[in-house]
Amino acid sequence: MRYRAGGLLLLAVAAWLLPYQLNRYSIHVANVTILFALLAIGLGLAMGVAGQINLAQVAFFGVGAYATAILSTRAGLGFWTAAALAMVAAAAVGVLVGLPALRMQSHYLGIVTLGLALAFTNWVTNTQLAGGAEGISAIPVPTLPGLDLSDEYLFYYVELVVFAAALAFGLFVVHTPLGRRMRAMRDDALAAGAVGVEVPMLRLIAFLLASLYGGVAGVLYAGLIQFVAPETFSIANMFLLLAMVIIGGRQSLVGCVVGAVTLALIRELLVDYPTYAQVAYGSVVVLTVVFAPTGLAGLPRRLTASLRRRGLARRPAGASAPTMRPFQPYEPEPEPEPVDRPPLLHVDGVSMRFRGLTALRTVSLTVGAGEIRGIVGPNGSGKTTLFNVISGLYRPAAGRVALADRDVTGARPYRLAHAGIARTFQNLRLFGALTVRDNVLVALDTSRLRGSWRYAIWPVGVWRHDRELNARADDVLARFGLDDFAHTLPGALPYGIQRRVEIARAMARQPALLLLDEPAAGLNGDEVRQLGEIVRSIRDSGVTVVLIEHNMGLVMSLCERVTVLAAGVVIAEGTPAQVARTPQVIEAYLGDSAMAGDLPAQVPAEAAR
Amino acid sequence: MIRRRRYLAAVTCTAAAAVVAAACSAPGSDKSSSAGGSGPIKIAVVDAQSGQLSSLGAWELKGARLAVGEWNKAGGINGRQIQLDVFDDQGDPTVGTTLARKIDSEGYVAMIGTAESAVTIAMAPTLRQAEIPNITSGQSPGLVAVNSPFLFLNGPTSTTYDETLAKYIVDKKGIKNIALITNNGSFGKGEHDAFSKALASRSVTPVADQVVTSDQKDFSAALTTIRQKRPQLIFLGAEEVESGLIVKQARDLGITAPFAGAAPQGTPVFLDTAGAANVEGTIVSSPYLGNDASDAARKFAAAYKAAYGQDAELHGAKAYDGTQILLTALKTSNAATGKALADAIRSTKYTGLLGNFAYDDTGVGVFATAIGTITGGKLVAESA
Amino acid sequence: MQVFLQTIIGGVSLGAIYALVALGFSLVYRTMGLVNFAHGNVVMVGAYLASTFYLSVRLPFGLAMLIAIVVTGLVGVVIERVLRPLEHKDFDLMLIGTIGFGVVLEAVAVLIWGATGRAVRSPVPARPLDIFGVRVRTYDLLVLAVAALATVGLVLFLQRTKRGAAMQAVAMDHEAATALGIHVGRSNAMAFVIGAGLAALAGGLVGPLLYVSPSMGGTLGIKGFAGAVLGGFGSIPGAIVGGIAIGVLDSFAAGHFQGYSELVTFVVFTVIIMVRPTGVFGERTVNRA
Repeated sequence: MRYRAGGLLLLAVAAWLLPYQLNRYSIHVANVTILFALLAIGLGLAMGVAGQINLAQVAFFGVGAYATAILSTRAGLGFWTAAALAMVAAAAVGVLVGLPALRMQSHYLGIVTLGLALAFTNWVTNTQLAGGAEGISAIPVPTLPGLDLSDEYLFYYVELVVFAAALAFGLFVVHTPLGRRMRAMRDDALAAGAVGVEVPMLRLIAFLLASLYGGVAGVLYAGLIQFVAPETFSIANMFLLLAMVIIGGRQSLVGCVVGAVTLALIRELLVDYPTYAQVAYGSVVVLTVVFAPTGLAGLPRRLTASLRRRGLARRPAGASAPTMRPFQPYEPEPEPEPVDRPPLLHVDGVSMRFRGLTALRTVSLTVGAGEIRGIVGPNGSGKTTLFNVISGLYRPAAGRVALADRDVTGARPYRLAHAGIARTFQNLRLFGALTVRDNVLVALDTSRLRGSWRYAIWPVGVWRHDRELNARADDVLARFGLDDFAHTLPGALPYGIQRRVEIARAMARQPALLLLDEPAAGLNGDEVRQLGEIVRSIRDSGVTVVLIEHNMGLVMSLCERVTVLAAGVVIAEGTPAQVARTPQVIEAYLGDSAMAGDLPAQVPAEAAR
Repeated sequence: MIRRRRYLAAVTCTAAAAVVAAACSAPGSDKSSSAGGSGPIKIAVVDAQSGQLSSLGAWELKGARLAVGEWNKAGGINGRQIQLDVFDDQGDPTVGTTLARKIDSEGYVAMIGTAESAVTIAMAPTLRQAEIPNITSGQSPGLVAVNSPFLFLNGPTSTTYDETLAKYIVDKKGIKNIALITNNGSFGKGEHDAFSKALASRSVTPVADQVVTSDQKDFSAALTTIRQKRPQLIFLGAEEVESGLIVKQARDLGITAPFAGAAPQGTPVFLDTAGAANVEGTIVSSPYLGNDASDAARKFAAAYKAAYGQDAELHGAKAYDGTQILLTALKTSNAATGKALADAIRSTKYTGLLGNFAYDDTGVGVFATAIGTITGGKLVAESA
Repeated sequence: MQVFLQTIIGGVSLGAIYALVALGFSLVYRTMGLVNFAHGNVVMVGAYLASTFYLSVRLPFGLAMLIAIVVTGLVGVVIERVLRPLEHKDFDLMLIGTIGFGVVLEAVAVLIWGATGRAVRSPVPARPLDIFGVRVRTYDLLVLAVAALATVGLVLFLQRTKRGAAMQAVAMDHEAATALGIHVGRSNAMAFVIGAGLAALAGGLVGPLLYVSPSMGGTLGIKGFAGAVLGGFGSIPGAIVGGIAIGVLDSFAAGHFQGYSELVTFVVFTVIIMVRPTGVFGERTVNRA
């Protein structure tokens, strides 16, 4: 950490002293490079951190530059006033461009944002207000007391200060709850919604951030070049920017900056051979994407990992082999008699159809508070579909879902998370690029996105909130015995531990209702036993649990009541013993009636409670 | 622990010292002295060598190289060879401004280019500050509006082109039923405004005024609207390829009216794209009516063909004239630079392929164009 | 009325080219799950090859097109082979990899053929037809006919042949397809080659219509892609409908809004896609997080 601080200081000094080494041409190149670096940070935030394809970044750049130009030349405003208004304009455009992201993602979003960027250039080429194809010249030089900013050397310092602040802010966003949520959304938007991330608003915020960086770069551009024309904001420059971000490593903001600087320098070196330069960029992008997807920023980690594999690099001192600690049970809450339990979850006549296939046919069930309910049935009977309806991933074709008197039919997953529903997934949906600790932190964060204004005005409050979350995360990790794995990525963990991480994440929000989708799948006998203890403890702490399972031993020993689904219809409901003897259940699921005798009756452990 | 603290302290002290030392003096560098007494005279050619308008850049370069080659063969200027270096502005004004600073810091005495008015306008302030004369082949009146004593045009402005054209069409031929189709790029807009003004001064209102984009490929809507108005003549304000496409599609739509235009209509690319049969009868206002127009043109075209194996055309001729003027000024001013060179250019009188150059204060040197008509696939001059 | 009809005709003729481009996009997406942003540049390569064989080597137009399709198919093989490690893994990265390829293709075209383009004369010398005052170019009819044939051929291939079915199986579940003995790499390569072939077809046909230059791939690619998305990405009839729709939209926007046509076209496109993100024929892809 100390080395890092020292290195940073040296870098800052080097940057401060740079102009003394450069002639007029090189300082201009440096100034333009800083602008690209700002744009790259914005693009990195939207694409690399939040996972939103944003091919309109160059248009945000243009809005900032043109707004400054128009307001300072046509409307006669001072440069800084025009700049402030230009930032507002860029932000507004950013939110507008972000609206399609609410309806589509990936390549659809790509073509829409690309089209909007072209639309911007087209508009600007035609309007007299924007000077048409010849642009706007003679933009007034920005003035600062005592400094003549028409001198590019002094302008460099202004840019450097702005850049440092922008980078610091960007890094602050990435490493605090907002950035963590964006990364979670990027890794798995579905799971993010399930742990309470307000995905639609977050997408807009991502575009807003990108447009703010674009706007800043645009304002500085107008002040530096004092001339704006449509060709600067072309698709060719957009692709250059994209190359910078990819080659640098889109998920790391520092990587984006490195990519921007590297490509800008290469462009200068190859300025005499522009066509060969194009071949070079394109090839490097392809090579990076195939061989080094994490870009230049990911190289150090890959290098150390590869050295470690070859036994050439030491592991950090004091690390013994990490193990999962035992689960620490929750404090039990006083529990009412089964008869007195108020219904917590009420599913009423839910039907679900997928283009002609009826997955659920008027399914109704009621789960009392504090109950452990099992849902069993053959594959394809609609169990996960039912979960998806309850947790808001699907809107049912008919029927109602109510959570403790509140109708939550068809509500979005994040609203249900706020209402107190948590779930795990059949195919494990952990956030792959986030550490175990970060996975839990995302779930712990119950703050609403509309409080994000604090980032701009009151970052200290954000920092405090983050510290508090981290403290609570320690508690969650300790309870589930995951302390040793806090800084590991889920992909590197054994399957059983990943399953526990997912349960820990779901429980982090202290939900009222926990849905577990095949939690025992792939676990060995001992792990299943541990799972049973965990679920019981969870229920004892006051959480209602509904689980889908195929492991009949676990179901019988754990669940108080069992609902059996087959072909989208509830064919039986009752205690495990009752259900095991029901003929339809035996026929559809459990097998020949002769085997009914093999099933355990209610296990003594359950009866003794 | 202590070692680390000492390390950090050392770093901080060094850093602080460096910053303090630096803050005492402002940064800046001495200009690398340009064009000293000996060594080659460096001239920069800046154009789009890549991208949509790169053909203009390629032609310009050939014309400039031809001129420089002739002078170098004849011994250069005061025994010094002329060195021509190419820079690609990619049609992007930002790159242009960077290049302006680059040629300043690397000691170039003058610049030829660019063919695009927007980029030239972007570069003008820097070149003015650096006192580097620039002979451009742009023709937009916006260039004149820049009002830089270091900016010169190697051809007439759109105003001249279109005034001559309007004079011929309206005054001489008596055609009053005219439709306009122009694009919204800087050249097209300039042409649109100049021609409209020329018509307005003759109290002629166009029957149609269609604007298309520079990227447009299908002109059915615009052309059909024009066809409905039955004009006697259609004015084209777009670059070579786009005009060619417009003409081709117009003929396919059954429009038989002749076309008229300025510089692009005099090029072989326009002819090839549209098809020779379709452009028959097109009226062209251009100072360079083709490689057969005069003895000088023939000589130029022959040299061009010998050097490059291609036919010469207007843009190459403009660059050739511009470079010749620059080299003449360098000779008469004894390889001067900066203001002295600019003044020398201004006072140079040169009879070139495009006409008689005599620069005025606005940087324009030629004030007349000629009228030609495309007949039998060739541009034939009209008698005045 | 005449302006209206002529505008439609103009839009349809250019739209047929966009439709062919869209067809290539949709086919590659449907069979490989890959969005190939280099497709427009492949069209450009096809256009250059076809025009080179037609003009310089003086082969008959049809033969020149055929050779261009074959050679461009090889380019497709190369691209697929290089990007194979990414297939079915990171979608966004693959997207960006194809963008990189597009940049390389354009630069290489400049190196080989120069930055200036070339005009290609029409292989159909007949005069345009005049139907009730509306003019229709005979070459346009040829383009439409070829586009229709290509569509029919493609649909038959995908639905009636084993290889075609295998290709679609790979797109739906490549692991299951492997389990069934389908060589995924080869199937993908074939899909890509067919996509490239369609691109070359579009490029060869567009040459006499417009002008062949290294930067022509840009607009054709973007509009073609928009057409594919509009019609439902991955749907073959959708590509045709979407491509022609974009062409007609473009034509009307140019007629009514003149210089602002691009702005109007893309804003309308955005609105349509937001209202119906899956396009006219496509599957639902909107996630509900």
